[in-house]
Amino acid sequence: MKALALRWGALVRTHGLGFNTHLVVGLTLALVTLPQAVAFSVTLAGVPPHFGIYAAIWGVLFCALLNPSPVFHGGPNTAMSAAVGVILLPIAPPFGAEYMGFALTLGLMTGLIQLLFWLVRPLGRMLDLMSEPVINGMICGIGLFLIFKSLTTFGGLPLNTQVEWPLWIAGQSLLAVLEVGNPYAIEIGLITLATSVVMQQFGRLRSWAILGGIAAGTLYAEWLNRRYGLGTTLVEQIGNLSAIRPFLPSVPTFSQEVMHDIVAIVPGAVTLALLGLFQTVAALRRMSRKAGGFADSRGAIFSDAVTNCALPFLSSLPSCASFNRMWLVHKLGIHSRITIAASAVLLLLLVLFFAPVIAIIPMPAMAAIIMLLGANMLKWEDVKPHLANRREAVVFIGAFLAVLFLDLFGAVLVGCLLAIAYSKWEQAHPNISLHGDVLKIRGNIYYGSLPVIEKVYHQALSATDKLVIDFSQVYYIDPEGMRWLAAARTAGHATFIDRRSGRDRRDHQAVSSEIAQQRRAKHDRRHKVDL
Amino acid sequence: MRLPIAKLIHTAAVLAALAGLYALSVYKHEQRDAQRRAPVSLTPGCADKLQRYGLVADKFYRSPYALERTGAARMARAYGPEDVRAIQRGCNIVDDTQGELAKTSIERWNASRFIRGSHASCDHCHQSIGDKQDTAGNPLKGSLSLGASWVMADMYDRFTGLLLPFELRQMQCFINSSNGYKPNISDDLIRDVTAYSRFLSAALDLRIANHYDEQGIDEIAASATFKQGDDYVRGEALFKQKCAVCHGPQAQGQVVDGRVFAPALAGPNAWNMQSRNYFYYVSTILPGFICRNMPLGQENTLTNQECRDIAYFISNLPRPAGDKQGPLMALQQQLLMNVIPPLVRATEHVTAPQTPAPLQESEQ
Repeated sequence: MKALALRWGALVRTHGLGFNTHLVVGLTLALVTLPQAVAFSVTLAGVPPHFGIYAAIWGVLFCALLNPSPVFHGGPNTAMSAAVGVILLPIAPPFGAEYMGFALTLGLMTGLIQLLFWLVRPLGRMLDLMSEPVINGMICGIGLFLIFKSLTTFGGLPLNTQVEWPLWIAGQSLLAVLEVGNPYAIEIGLITLATSVVMQQFGRLRSWAILGGIAAGTLYAEWLNRRYGLGTTLVEQIGNLSAIRPFLPSVPTFSQEVMHDIVAIVPGAVTLALLGLFQTVAALRRMSRKAGGFADSRGAIFSDAVTNCALPFLSSLPSCASFNRMWLVHKLGIHSRITIAASAVLLLLLVLFFAPVIAIIPMPAMAAIIMLLGANMLKWEDVKPHLANRREAVVFIGAFLAVLFLDLFGAVLVGCLLAIAYSKWEQAHPNISLHGDVLKIRGNIYYGSLPVIEKVYHQALSATDKLVIDFSQVYYIDPEGMRWLAAARTAGHATFIDRRSGRDRRDHQAVSSEIAQQRRAKHDRRHKVDL
Repeated sequence: MRLPIAKLIHTAAVLAALAGLYALSVYKHEQRDAQRRAPVSLTPGCADKLQRYGLVADKFYRSPYALERTGAARMARAYGPEDVRAIQRGCNIVDDTQGELAKTSIERWNASRFIRGSHASCDHCHQSIGDKQDTAGNPLKGSLSLGASWVMADMYDRFTGLLLPFELRQMQCFINSSNGYKPNISDDLIRDVTAYSRFLSAALDLRIANHYDEQGIDEIAASATFKQGDDYVRGEALFKQKCAVCHGPQAQGQVVDGRVFAPALAGPNAWNMQSRNYFYYVSTILPGFICRNMPLGQENTLTNQECRDIAYFISNLPRPAGDKQGPLMALQQQLLMNVIPPLVRATEHVTAPQTPAPLQESEQ
């Protein structure tokens, strides 16, 4: 025991932080994660709050231990939780035992699919092809989707139990909130929103904005309940947290009778796996760059996959990287996985002791927080750079609209297609210029770009019958390209020049004529030998 | 110093927007409350029906209908003035969903905003304001009675196996049968129609959880026919012979003097592809409806096979896509609805020279 303590102490010292610092930072992280965990599970995923809380405890702990990056913060995620809700709503009524079982099965399938991404290396590598405009477009779309989705909870109205295109119903939901929403719920939601928005404006309070908003909303709700009674206000609360204990084992639903339902959610599991991995890889890439380091995304895929395979047996939602919490970790200047692991343990202690306080948080306050998080995902600074370039703007807007008009699986597919189309489009349009009789190609010569090259080539041939093709900036030629070049040469219309020819060589000779003389001498000597 | 000012303005703008939202919600709530308190001007049909069933604000309710038919009626706890207004509004919604008889635009708030198109009305399917009877006052088999539906409320849905509350079933009507939007389940609209349906069940002396013949549809499966298969050509001929007079040659409905004379069975004003009226979704319901309720005044004259043929033909005409079928299907159906009818009209003289001159179809 003593040895363990010594080792722990050494580990803490090597990471350059005192024990107190670990405690304070860990507590901060835990307090920031807790309301998100509760909000995601209750308002988005449609499962009791302990699912999110366990994800925030075990998900964070496993990721902190397994992930190659020391600043990685896993746990429940907005988009993933929303996806769980969207996928499972047609299968079973939310918050029921059946639904929870399917949520666990969905999580396990997600983990297994992610494991496949780790085992098959090219699949994992494919994730790197997801370009930034696609990811940002999807993030913006999901942000807007979250705002619409929380409207009914914000107004204290019952959840609609049928899935529809979110945009079609958004206007109706807003009208319903304005006309028949519970006025007390609307007041609580607005107070939560206003408090959080104001707190967000101050740099120091920013990380506490969510907690502050929820505290304000809860205090107001308590005041209302004292004054009018819960029977009058009818504001829904998070409620029973008695399921919270240090460790709550669970088994995913898996039986013959429900096999058709399980098969029906397989596309959902693929979506969920991809959503998680995209965010993990993108967050890892971005935060490692910010910290000036590099972390292998394959390791992150492994850690996510193992975590998500284990979490369904601990009654927990699936986990992936969280942009906002990793940003906080970066801001707090943490470079140690121990702090993050400590935050998970602290969170466990926190919920064990403060469950009665968490139970009285009103749902409209939770919905307000989700709306705020959604609004924070729509950042003009992230959007603006993508609108400058036309091709990138098309990709960005396509991914954005796909989230709003298709389901999430469709959006992921469209996003992948757009990313591939974008890169292929870039490759298939090499920069070709014609100066006199020199045709210079910058880019690739392959089956995709050949039609573009051929068109310019034949146009040039109509003016002159001899052409010089300059390859000095061609990176890649595929077999089809080779065959075309060979045919052009045998036809006698084209001669080729390669790197360091023409003007380059003349410049080079002008700069160092001595070296050129030596070379010429060498060349002559060799020719003499040959002769 | 410039940055804090920009931040201040930003924060103030957000807070002002939130305050505006709050003010708007207070105003809208008051508007809605005023509507709830206002006396209801009944449509002629509703005035007759509710008077016949003796709806008044009182302590007890005894059904005149049951009293007249059986000589005895249960004494039930009755309705306060608020309940009476809710029932009256519900009746108005069922009778006049499009608000054609409404005197002010605010009266049209009720249902028309949840409906796409200008034809759909509850009493197109739930005929005689949800309470179809023969001349002797007997309820009719398969007439989709709302009262008989209410006593079956919260039963398991036959098609999905899920518990389906009466309110949710109503929402499905709005979404699919009227190809509309989903009202929130706690909207007045849903509550009022539920109140009216519940009153009907009390007025007709129906007992909860019992199954009555007038509830739902008298479904006609293929096994109840001559087993010739459902035929488009036979269906088309029958449609032209029996239905086109009112519903128009391409089933686009007829509007006379700004009021729906016969609703559209296809095209943008009809039910969508996820409605249970749609043959490919549930193949027994539309034939059942046709056999028991159509043509108006000559009900029960068509054979089972004829009803299935007509239903099959109608369902093959272009109609809106369902809400869960995605944007591509919606686009495809929009295209079909806009292209097919003019195309058919243009080529009619070539393909069917013998048929009499087609009825002038309304453009509404």
